[in-house]
Amino acid sequence: MSKNTKNTDAEKGKKSFAETNDRPEPAISIEASDRQGTSIDIPIKAKKLKKQQRKKAMNRISLANILLISAVFAGGFVYVTLLPHETKADDENRLLTKFPKFSIKSYTSGDYTDGIADYFDDTVHARADIKEFIADMLMPLKGMKYGGEKAELYGSGFEKPVTTTTAATTASVCTLTTIAVQQPTTTVAEPEEDKTADGELTNNILIVNKRGINLYGGAWGSEQEYASYLNAYKEALPNVNIYSMVLPTSSSFYLPEEYKNLAQSEKEDFDRIEASLGNVMSIDAYMALNAHKDEPIYSRTDHHWQPLGAYYAAQQFALTAGVPFPDISEYEKVTLPGYVGTLYMYTQSATLLNNPEDFVYYKPKTNVSVTQYDTHFSNPVAADLLLDPSQMPNSGYYMVFGGDERIVHVNTECKNGRTLVIFKDSYGNALLPMLTSSFENIYLCDIRYFDLNAADFIRNVQATDLLFSMCSFSAVGVNRHNIYNNLIK
Amino acid sequence: MVFSRLFFIYIFLPVCLLCYALARGTKHKNTVLIIFSLIFYAWGEPVYIFLMIATAVVNYVAALFIGKYQGRAGDTAATVTAVVYDLLMLGVFKYSGFIVENINALFSCSIPVPDIRLPIGISFYTFQTISYIIDCHWEKVKPQKNFKNFLLFLTLFPQLIAGPIVRYSKIEKEINDRTIQMSDVSYGLNRVALGLAKKVLLADQLSLIAESFLGNIGSSTMLGAWYGAIAYGMQIYFDFSGYSDIAIGLGRVFGFHFDENFDHPFMCKDITEFWQRWHISLGTFFRDYLLYIPIFGKRRKYGGLFLVWLCTGIWHGASWNYVIWGLYYGIFIFIELLIGKKKMKNIPVVIRHIYSKFIIIIGFAIFYFEDLGKLGTFFKTAFGFGKNGFIAVQDKISFINNIFLIAVAIICCFPLIRTIKDVTDKRFAAKATISSAAAVVSALLLVITSIILVDATTSPFLYYQF
Repeated sequence: MSKNTKNTDAEKGKKSFAETNDRPEPAISIEASDRQGTSIDIPIKAKKLKKQQRKKAMNRISLANILLISAVFAGGFVYVTLLPHETKADDENRLLTKFPKFSIKSYTSGDYTDGIADYFDDTVHARADIKEFIADMLMPLKGMKYGGEKAELYGSGFEKPVTTTTAATTASVCTLTTIAVQQPTTTVAEPEEDKTADGELTNNILIVNKRGINLYGGAWGSEQEYASYLNAYKEALPNVNIYSMVLPTSSSFYLPEEYKNLAQSEKEDFDRIEASLGNVMSIDAYMALNAHKDEPIYSRTDHHWQPLGAYYAAQQFALTAGVPFPDISEYEKVTLPGYVGTLYMYTQSATLLNNPEDFVYYKPKTNVSVTQYDTHFSNPVAADLLLDPSQMPNSGYYMVFGGDERIVHVNTECKNGRTLVIFKDSYGNALLPMLTSSFENIYLCDIRYFDLNAADFIRNVQATDLLFSMCSFSAVGVNRHNIYNNLIK
Repeated sequence: MVFSRLFFIYIFLPVCLLCYALARGTKHKNTVLIIFSLIFYAWGEPVYIFLMIATAVVNYVAALFIGKYQGRAGDTAATVTAVVYDLLMLGVFKYSGFIVENINALFSCSIPVPDIRLPIGISFYTFQTISYIIDCHWEKVKPQKNFKNFLLFLTLFPQLIAGPIVRYSKIEKEINDRTIQMSDVSYGLNRVALGLAKKVLLADQLSLIAESFLGNIGSSTMLGAWYGAIAYGMQIYFDFSGYSDIAIGLGRVFGFHFDENFDHPFMCKDITEFWQRWHISLGTFFRDYLLYIPIFGKRRKYGGLFLVWLCTGIWHGASWNYVIWGLYYGIFIFIELLIGKKKMKNIPVVIRHIYSKFIIIIGFAIFYFEDLGKLGTFFKTAFGFGKNGFIAVQDKISFINNIFLIAVAIICCFPLIRTIKDVTDKRFAAKATISSAAAVVSALLLVITSIILVDATTSPFLYYQF
């Protein structure tokens, strides 16, 4: 009898289960039949309860999820908006974006709104620390260094859009320079053109044996143009001694054998330049530097050379020009330890950041008087030959030698009646202190920032000698056009 | 405004989400969304926003006429007017320069080339309005009578700039009435974090490889050319699908359910399948509104097919390489159509995978090179006729330098999340664990992405001074 009751109960249970749920689960019915009578309802409730509990649990997880992400948003909001904003980036040698000024024009062009976004993105609190953290973290996360030389290759900067940040960048460089030189300048540098416009240069940087090397991409014919421009100077100034000293970069000397193919030969291009020069005297800086390549003549972390390299090149030039040249011991040697240069800025490589070098420069002991002019050769201001680099720890090269957007006149104790004009790029800056015992007057002009007719200027200062000295990238890259443009201004 | 910027993630979005959460009722929430969408668009297009609003007005009014004169001449007239207006705007703002340049080249004339900047998102919102107008004409949807609601459909900022192309029919109901579940919000936020990570951690890093090897194709080796094209293909996938993830995720946070736009396209076994998985909203748009236009008579199956692929190509950009790119895919889909589904299936899966990936990688190279001369150099280099040999040291260094990135990118092309979900959904404990883990992983991804974005304003190479 009881068995029957059980069965009936079980059947009832089945029915009621079927009524409440479309999917009867036999397992529950059997359990129910074992537990007699009311036992049937209990597991169903349990199932429902379980479902509800699970739903609640999932909701709780969802809520926690929302709160977690919201906390990140809220934290980010506070960090980006309320914490103090940075104003300058030492490692990039620039002032950071400022909050834009409103005008109808800037609004309709989209510059104003872009500027606001740029401002918040660019001035994040403790930006330098975060960037150092990224530099340390990114490379090991992406991959490994290659081979025994621990090589890292940083791709080209081709087709980087020139954004508003560019203008800010360039303007900031000017501003910083101005502060350092303590001389107001009215010249605003044009934003740099894309140096890859001619397609012959690469901005690829290889880091190998803890040294950053800017890979030379070859001239591909533009070396002929460079030579022809200098020949044009000789035609215009037949009575002036004209010299060409194209400076090799570290790409020529420090690429291990396996990596040689990554760069073109600077030496071959120099030879072609020499062959195309008319009455312009060619100075073989390559040979002079190659003989000393085991000394620290190039910076490991900067795309410039070190002043010692400039010393050897200047020595070679002095020999050709037939002027006196002092021994290096006659200079006061100044060492700036912990220098991390521009190549870190370009690559953000932890290898460079964590392996700083000494930046060594040489102060001439002789007395000189230095006057700086703007790029129109007006507004003279007395200045020092070398600047105090302590203000900007990460850009020793620029700070010691100052900026490029000016004309510098140096009058020396060397009374040989020779006046030298140097047309240069930033490599050439380092030559100036090395020639202060060789010429009576030296005028240092940057080919990119010169607002006069070059021939008129040279005649005007009664130059006896004219030196073109710039690195290979400038001589065969788009900068070369400035050489000719300065002649026809 | 771009999603992958700190300003968007930590200022615009939190303020928008807060206002949205505080607004009570769908109407107020809609108002909040419209205001933020207009701010979002005006941020990048302070002037062209009026063009978008004009487009909204024209299409809104046209749809009202379509509704009023349903089935009569007025209906057709309004449909034609609106579609012509939309296409004209797209034509003027996107293609006029390209058209004039080609006329000048073809007839050796010198009509001044108009210098018109492309309004952001015009290709996407124009297609949304066209689909809306045609759906109204076909009576698939009822014209929206409330302009505010229509404006919301058109300007909804998650999908405004880079899709997916959302159909009105898809969100018609949700515009007026939507319930937002807690699970929707958490899913949406996680999806946004995932999308940002795909864009910043994968696509942007892969772009450095692609740019080095394709950007310098003249100095690339054979292997370098392929390596660059593969990196570029993955870059575009993570970039575009990342954007779609953010759009779908944000939509979900706001209570909208957009259709998926990418379905692991590299898992495809043939080109037809690739396009069923890649930019799905565009493919279905052309399928629904262009493929069956009866302009090719009996040959419409093939004629329509090539028309679709011509349009797909040109839609991506006003340049010949996009036309070639579209027709290139059209040819392979045509061939696959000729072979037939059954015969295609008989081909061993491995061969179909190799075939489809090969075609797709070359497709990305065509997509990359707007300069046809450089595209020619790519083909020469990739097929062993280049001047730089098979492999060089820069290929090896770059590969080793990026080996983990490439491995992770390849793994992420597989449907990992779906597989994990399928497995864990069966058991509650596993599901709960995975959901909790997803929350933590999403938050971590968001933080890591943000840290990397601090570096985005670094301007290397911009003032390379010697």
